[in-house]
Amino acid sequence: MTYKRRKYHNGDTHLKKGWRTKRRTKDLDEIDADLKPEVAEKLLNQEIDLDKPGEAQHYCLHCARYFINDQALQEHFRTKVHKRRLKALELEPYSIEDSEKAAGLGNFQLPKKRKIATQGTEADDESIASADTQ
Amino acid sequence: MRIEVCYFCSSRIFPGHGIQFVRNDCKIFKFCRSKCHAAFKKKKNPRKVKWTKVYRKTVGKELAVDPAFEFEKKRHCPVKYNREVWQKSVEAMKAVEAIKQKRQAHFIKQRQSKAIEIEKQKDVKEVHRNIQLIRADAAGMKERMKHETAEGAHESETEMEAPEIDLEDDIIEEALASDTEMDAVEAEA
Repeated sequence: MTYKRRKYHNGDTHLKKGWRTKRRTKDLDEIDADLKPEVAEKLLNQEIDLDKPGEAQHYCLHCARYFINDQALQEHFRTKVHKRRLKALELEPYSIEDSEKAAGLGNFQLPKKRKIATQGTEADDESIASADTQ
Repeated sequence: MRIEVCYFCSSRIFPGHGIQFVRNDCKIFKFCRSKCHAAFKKKKNPRKVKWTKVYRKTVGKELAVDPAFEFEKKRHCPVKYNREVWQKSVEAMKAVEAIKQKRQAHFIKQRQSKAIEIEKQKDVKEVHRNIQLIRADAAGMKERMKHETAEGAHESETEMEAPEIDLEDDIIEEALASDTEMDAVEAEA
């Protein structure tokens, strides 16, 4: 016989768990640094790590997430979460330097917009090529 | 010891205040108070939070680009104490601050002057739309009718409408004039 799981509803206390720095996921500016071609190549071709989901073979660069197989990864590319993340990365992420500029240390500059595409697509290859030429 | 800058709201952090977070890539995030720290932990974007300095500068509410901002710099090498240099730099800081304040105030005033113009246009529009509140549609109708009968009934309708519009414009001008008078009285008071 199956029993109902105890404490089905965790309440808001577990919201705070996500905000703790202990379980902090990658920030947008960290992901932005990962998008550089040389770093991105390393992340996309990782060695087999048995501790990571899917032995770290199926990684989404923009969401900084591991998937168990290629199908799961491809399905993830079609989700809203992923598309939202691409959109968020379009603007250059906020950094410590920006906060200092806003405080009056140097002139403030507006963040630039750029093209971001899912890894491995044709559009992505184009964006990398354009980044190289710059 | 130095006065730090808050990562989230860009305010000053005096020694003994706030908290700092060192991310696992060695970057140090400093926060002026728990409000900013909590917002950071929730991954809020300071560019979209209205009470931060970055928001005000990105949206153009405050002066963002000005040569006066180039004076303040982070210097990592210590300078040996020299009384003359110290006094001079303090003087310079005061002068730069005065210039900065003046320019920032001027920027805000310029921005607000645009709003005043828009407000005036809005007022004119409102008067146009609600003219019957000031002057009833039927006001002066009898005199107008008399005028028309005297001139002759064979004139076209378009010509008959023209004087009406002129009248309305006169009233609007009068209303605006009284408005400016009111402002002047208020200013005197």
